[in-house]
Amino acid sequence: MTRAVRTPAGSRPALAAALVLTLVAGGFAAWTGQGWYAAAHDDTAAYAAERDRALAAGEQAVQNLNTLDHRQVDRGLDLWESSTTGELHEQLVDGREEFAGQVKAAKTVTTARVLSGAVTELDERSGRARLLVALRVTVTTPDNKSTDKDSRMLGELTRADGRWKLSGLGQAPVGGTATG
Amino acid sequence: MPTPRHHLNRERRRQARADQPVADPASPVGLLTEPAPPTRRRTAAKPVQEKQEKQEKRERLEKREPRDEEHAQGEEAASRPRHRVPLLVLCVLTLLLGGFAGWAQSRTGELRDDPARANTALTDPARTSEIKGQTAVAVAALFSYDHTDAAAFERAGKAFLTGKAVEQHRTLFAGVLAQAAAQKSVITTTVTDSAVERIDGDRARVLVYADQSSVSTAGPAKPKAGRAQPKAQDQGVYAGAMFAVDVVLRDGTWLVEGIDTFGR
Repeated sequence: MTRAVRTPAGSRPALAAALVLTLVAGGFAAWTGQGWYAAAHDDTAAYAAERDRALAAGEQAVQNLNTLDHRQVDRGLDLWESSTTGELHEQLVDGREEFAGQVKAAKTVTTARVLSGAVTELDERSGRARLLVALRVTVTTPDNKSTDKDSRMLGELTRADGRWKLSGLGQAPVGGTATG
Repeated sequence: MPTPRHHLNRERRRQARADQPVADPASPVGLLTEPAPPTRRRTAAKPVQEKQEKQEKRERLEKREPRDEEHAQGEEAASRPRHRVPLLVLCVLTLLLGGFAGWAQSRTGELRDDPARANTALTDPARTSEIKGQTAVAVAALFSYDHTDAAAFERAGKAFLTGKAVEQHRTLFAGVLAQAAAQKSVITTTVTDSAVERIDGDRARVLVYADQSSVSTAGPAKPKAGRAQPKAQDQGVYAGAMFAVDVVLRDGTWLVEGIDTFGR
């Protein structure tokens, strides 16, 4: 008779404990699952990723547009054109012949190194961004003299077919835009 | 001398076994109405009685005849699988849910550790503009010098510099200061463009484009500013500068912790 009482009573606490554990595990699963969902669908993260994509593409494009070897002008200019879009792209295409002639005549080799770069504006919906790129340009003349020049580049990026390309590039104006 | 009784009992058991198939096995009445057991139990020797009882028990179990002891045993046997199924289900559920929780947690950690996400430049617009604003103020103060108020330069250094930037700033201005004092120069630095490269908590790196004007009020000495030409002494000389500063948040103020002039 004692066994008859003990047996169901003995399994009931085990069952209750298991139920509590299951509920706790369920709570954890819900909590972590929700955290994971939030992390995976975080707009801020998507924006940050887009910012980094724009910066990487922008820095590469600015570097490309400041790199040209007179021995491989066509290859260099093809790269220029593939790195740009919009108005800047048209300018480069229009001025290509003339520019290629100048570089071939000058026999210069220009290389560039990005010192630092950062995005200042990013509109991921319209696909436009602005960035600053600190650039060190090295120009080597035919007599093997090379000169370094630092450039403060201001770039404008436009997303075309899912890729960020330069649509505008210029140097930050030096001194006295206010005073002339 | 158990021999005759043994023999008798054996005979009876044999008879009982022989009788059983005849009795309807499905009906418990057959066993109860059987006249032999009561007499047998009374007369039988102990070992035989035990054997007999065991056999009867087995028969009753087979026929599911209820009896106190057997009732308990039967319930135990039935309850074991009945209670184990939910317990097992709960255990499996716990393991599955726990496993999912662990997996989700590690995935979340992976996503959160993404370096792109850790950098809050632009994604935190308030902090980004705060850093840009404070950096512009600090740079303007740190890179400007007025010979009539040399103490302001010292104050700016104490207010906006920390760590290795103190030494970097001193090195940058070592030659400039002596010259500026002699020439009674006024050097004014204005940030024209800046961009926050990275914000990582209370540390950030800012790329700065600045204009530097240098006005000398003491005759035709050469102005200092960079690669500018001394063509317009009276109006001052402009030069563009670019550098990056590492800033750190201390007591609500972003202080310059490092100045990177890109090796110049």
